[in-house]
Amino acid sequence: MSVLRLDSLYKSFGNLVVTDNISLIVDAGERHVIIGPNGAGKTSLVNQIGGQLRPSAGRVLVNDHDITGWPPDSISRMGVARTFQRNNLFQNLSVVENIRLALEVRLGNPLNFFAPVGRDTAMSERATQLMAQVHLDGDGARAARTLSYGEQRQLEIAIALAGEPELLLLDEPTSGMSPSETARMIALIGSLPRTLSILMIEHDMKVVFSLADRITVLHYGKVLATGTPAEIQANDRVREVYLGMVH
Amino acid sequence: MELFVAQLLNGLVYGVLLFLMAAGLSLIFGLMNVVSLAHGSFFMLGAYLGLAIFKATGSFWLAFVLAPIPVAGIGIVMELLFLRPLYRRGHMDQVLLTFGFTFVFLDLVQTIWGRAVLHLWAPAGLHGIVHIGLGVFSAYRLFLIGFGFAIALVLWLLLERSRIGAMVRAGVDNAIMAAGLGANIPALFSGIFGFGVALAALGGIAAAPILGLYPGMDSEILIPAFIVIVIGGMGSLRGAFVGSLLIGIVDTFGKAYFQGVALFLIYLAMLAVLLVRPQGLFGIKYSDASVAPAVTTTSRPASLQTRTSELGVLVALLILPFLMGDYPRALVSEIFIFAIFAMSLDLLLGFTGLMSLGHAAFFGLGAYAVAILGTQFELNAWLGVAAGVAIAACGAALIGFFCVRTGGIPFLMLTLAFSQLVFSVALKWRDVTGGSDGLTIAEQPSFFGFSLSRSLVMYFMTLSFFALTYWVLRRLLNAPLGHAFVGIRENEQRMMAVGYPTRAYKLLSFTIAGAIAGLAGGLYAIFNGFISSDAIYWTASGDILIMTMLGGAGTLVGPAIGTALFLLMKNVVSSYSEHWLSIIGAIFICCVMFFSGGLWGAAQKLQWRRVAK
Ligand SMILES: Nc1ncnc2c1ncn2[C@@H]1O[C@H](COP(=O)(O)OP(=O)(O)O)[C@@H](O)[C@H]1O
Ligand SMILES: [Mg+2]
Repeated sequence: MSVLRLDSLYKSFGNLVVTDNISLIVDAGERHVIIGPNGAGKTSLVNQIGGQLRPSAGRVLVNDHDITGWPPDSISRMGVARTFQRNNLFQNLSVVENIRLALEVRLGNPLNFFAPVGRDTAMSERATQLMAQVHLDGDGARAARTLSYGEQRQLEIAIALAGEPELLLLDEPTSGMSPSETARMIALIGSLPRTLSILMIEHDMKVVFSLADRITVLHYGKVLATGTPAEIQANDRVREVYLGMVH
Repeated sequence: MELFVAQLLNGLVYGVLLFLMAAGLSLIFGLMNVVSLAHGSFFMLGAYLGLAIFKATGSFWLAFVLAPIPVAGIGIVMELLFLRPLYRRGHMDQVLLTFGFTFVFLDLVQTIWGRAVLHLWAPAGLHGIVHIGLGVFSAYRLFLIGFGFAIALVLWLLLERSRIGAMVRAGVDNAIMAAGLGANIPALFSGIFGFGVALAALGGIAAAPILGLYPGMDSEILIPAFIVIVIGGMGSLRGAFVGSLLIGIVDTFGKAYFQGVALFLIYLAMLAVLLVRPQGLFGIKYSDASVAPAVTTTSRPASLQTRTSELGVLVALLILPFLMGDYPRALVSEIFIFAIFAMSLDLLLGFTGLMSLGHAAFFGLGAYAVAILGTQFELNAWLGVAAGVAIAACGAALIGFFCVRTGGIPFLMLTLAFSQLVFSVALKWRDVTGGSDGLTIAEQPSFFGFSLSRSLVMYFMTLSFFALTYWVLRRLLNAPLGHAFVGIRENEQRMMAVGYPTRAYKLLSFTIAGAIAGLAGGLYAIFNGFISSDAIYWTASGDILIMTMLGGAGTLVGPAIGTALFLLMKNVVSSYSEHWLSIIGAIFICCVMFFSGGLWGAAQKLQWRRVAK
């Protein structure tokens, strides 16, 4: 069964077509990686799935529900979580508070106006687990802005995981990371359970080929090719326009 | 027909004056993302300086040409010395700084020229009337219309055709891009600020022969100019032009043909436009992501240590009234009431990141509920307070529905416009509200069997509600809901992405804040025994903003401290000096410049630094 299906999705900014009739399927448990040169329209595509951007035409279906044009919060409540290409955190709040905000809205009672946050021990434990999962144990009290860039990327993942999503959208999770941080991130993403489906944008070919079940190549808003890593590597057009450009 | 044409021309005259105000406001906002509340003061200063130049030289035209120059100078100095250091901060500090300056300029004008209405006559050449096909018209008014349209044309040409215009347009889109075009951004900012101020001053002197000169003319032109901008769209010159003429004509015809509801017509026009186009006629759609947070302070959960100090303060406040006489007791009671009001604003401003300049509307709803239900239906004052809270909550939910669709400066302008709508109702619905003469609340409710006429009982009543509000807000802020509000303040886009319907949360915050403000208003009506429309004029919203900021927005204790300081200063300074407006304004300007987190915020920072060491 498909967790995500895009039906001839189309989006243009004036004359610039950033998503040109894209159809795509992410099956349950699949790790689907999107690659493509800068400006290919990868982030715009994820933004249309997450609700940050409204498609001009076409449909987005999550578990066969049409969510086209829904606001981001409704889409999130459908079990779709995401990270952002540029860190998008609550910079002045602590790591725990960052995670708790995401936990509370999906698993707790965000309208509770009377019980102190700290009193909900189940929630606190879950936050601690999440911190450990993304290698931020012990950093709970630090303000997000004091984390290193790589740590902030890890916190992005923790926030996305907090809502226990079915579909995780990752926009270049390893961008700007050091090689050791990248290795840790690959291990982290690799360790996520197969109950979770992942649609991920990635530039680093090592990451792509170590994680992907299937790869979609975007070029000027169009799907150039979709297939298994082996198929993509063997595809002449992909080699021509994209893989050839990677040094 | 003749009357109709005459009204149309009067509408155009008013529209032109509004345009001179709105054009500068809009340019300054578009380029620097600054809303200057002092813009009305520059209008006023232009008029008064024009009068001075006229008296010295005897020439209206000399005054007309020269008066804007020194005013623009004042504006540029203000931009250079005061606004510039604030650009990196949230927009709230800039709004508050300019609000501080309105106090200083108002006091300046009152000191030099007095409070009476002064007159400046139109120049001899334009005294007369002109016969045109449809009747006779004042020559000066016809001149103004022509002049205004000429200015609009010149502005348009400057913006569209000149190099500077290209830089300004680029700057409105993106300051970095403008710098890429070779624009000297700091100089451009100063220049445009000065230019906008000069236009406002020109408007002031142009208006003087028609409207007269009086302290208070500053906010009387500022509010409609804001409405023009809300209608026309922020940052759009075309919007300022169309909006000005629209408001000028609607207002003039309203006053001529629908006297009873004239004041409301411009607000109705605004509502009609906003319902169809929330961003205004020519504005760019407001995007949640693009606004910098109004404040940034991290809320900390209450620790054991603060529990102890809270208890200590409560005990002190319980003992305090026995050490003082009736007058200071009343003053402290008033502080409690306004502290409740300030805390309610802080929920919105400091904790949800929404800067309202119309919070007095809900205070007013609470106060009028007590007064009206008491006088018309002889309802018990306590039930009146309860009804006031409910009515204020409903009013806030309704008004908030429109306002939370925006954020940042547009939010500020909308709340301001709505609160002026409530003010107009209070002013004009005399049969019920008593207008500016107000209503007297005869009944003094009993409090646990005591009669409330005694200052001691009033003290304990207000203290109880203050403590209750403090406790409820503290629970709320430490609970998931409070954290959600803070999350929205910090990063609304991210909150949506993790699943919060942020607009609904903002509306909830707005409604709770409105309800608590209604409580403060109801208590005030009982305390004061009197309520009039003056209590909810927009400057009342400004005052409560000042109190909140002075103490520290985004902290729970700050607003109470700021309120105490403000009211003590007002009482003490005003009994020693006539210039208390200037003094308060100056203190406030210093606070904005040097203690950006307010006094309590600064104290907390110091404490954390000590703890961290
Ligand atoms: N809001 C927008 N308005 C106009 N153009 C945009 C907008 N967002 C993205 N673009 C353009 O769309 C193209 C695709 O951008 P993006 O989706 O971010 O690419 P990628 O993530 O593949 O690098 C780029 O040329 C970008 O400049
Ligand atoms: Mg991208």
